[in-house]
Amino acid sequence: MSFIEINQNFGEHTRLLAPFIVVITIVWLVLVYYSYKKYGTKMTIIYFLPITIATLIIESAGVAGGRYYYSGYIIYISIVGGAVPLIIALAWGVNLFLFMNMGKHFISKIYEKRNYLQIIFISSVAGLFGVCLDLLEDPLAHYNNWWIWTASLKGIKFFDVPILNFIGWFVLIFFMSIATLLIERSRFSENRKVLLSFTSLSITGTTIFVVHAIIVRLFEFTGLS
Amino acid sequence: MEKTIIQFIVENIFLFLPVGILGIVITVILIFRSKKENIPEFDDLTADYKTIGKYSVNLYTLVYLFIWISIIIIGLFSNSNFIIPTVTGGIIAAIPLILLILIQRKNKNSKVL
Repeated sequence: MSFIEINQNFGEHTRLLAPFIVVITIVWLVLVYYSYKKYGTKMTIIYFLPITIATLIIESAGVAGGRYYYSGYIIYISIVGGAVPLIIALAWGVNLFLFMNMGKHFISKIYEKRNYLQIIFISSVAGLFGVCLDLLEDPLAHYNNWWIWTASLKGIKFFDVPILNFIGWFVLIFFMSIATLLIERSRFSENRKVLLSFTSLSITGTTIFVVHAIIVRLFEFTGLS
Repeated sequence: MEKTIIQFIVENIFLFLPVGILGIVITVILIFRSKKENIPEFDDLTADYKTIGKYSVNLYTLVYLFIWISIIIIGLFSNSNFIIPTVTGGIIAAIPLILLILIQRKNKNSKVL
């Protein structure tokens, strides 16, 4: 498969994919425009582009590993062998920006000190809020074939969705929020922050990789996965 | 046999390792070889409130509410057999909304959604 692929059969093997894509597109446009107006171009890049690149790699690895796949979308991008719809990667930008800001609003009312502990609190709330929405979205996505989990996957499931998926959501949003907040609150110039947001993906990615691997091993050890 | 993302990355470690090391080295250089600037010591969160009629609405709560309603509508249109997962997920996904609205009301003591 080439790096970018255009699918001619939009919506094949899926149900209600069009309204789902419309919802993501509207929310993405609203949040990117709002971020641009409030924070400017460079900060908007920091909020939306690194997470999009990170999830393109992670999702591509997930598809290449055969755990799940996507059917019926229009534009696919293949980074490491698995084809991932572009809209899914863009949706992760929405997830990070939305949940991180919801976390900021929530925590700022409880814990006002602007320190590292507040960053941990905000990121934890962001991850938990993300999982809450995914518990609604993922079973629906599985049922309507927006993304398809391989039937042979074992372990605890929530309406046919592996529980490790939700843990993956938390880990990804939690660590990406920490990285984004650290960069956002650093005293570097905006150009430096943009560069750091991309290069630090290697550190954030390694951390996510190690933590997720430990959780997977723990689940396998206890027989939950 | 399907693999986890971790297994996939380990099997392709020679692809990921050089990129990862390069990223870490550049990040360290960027952090330690740069001038620091002054930054504002607070987040301007009040700008996220938009006035709709007589209510002050948090934009992010509004966007989340839009996603929540849209996904529930899609779920209810999916199939009559899928009502239980939609309702269960809908209740869980309402928790962030409820928490945000409660905490904003508690702190502002005014007409805030």
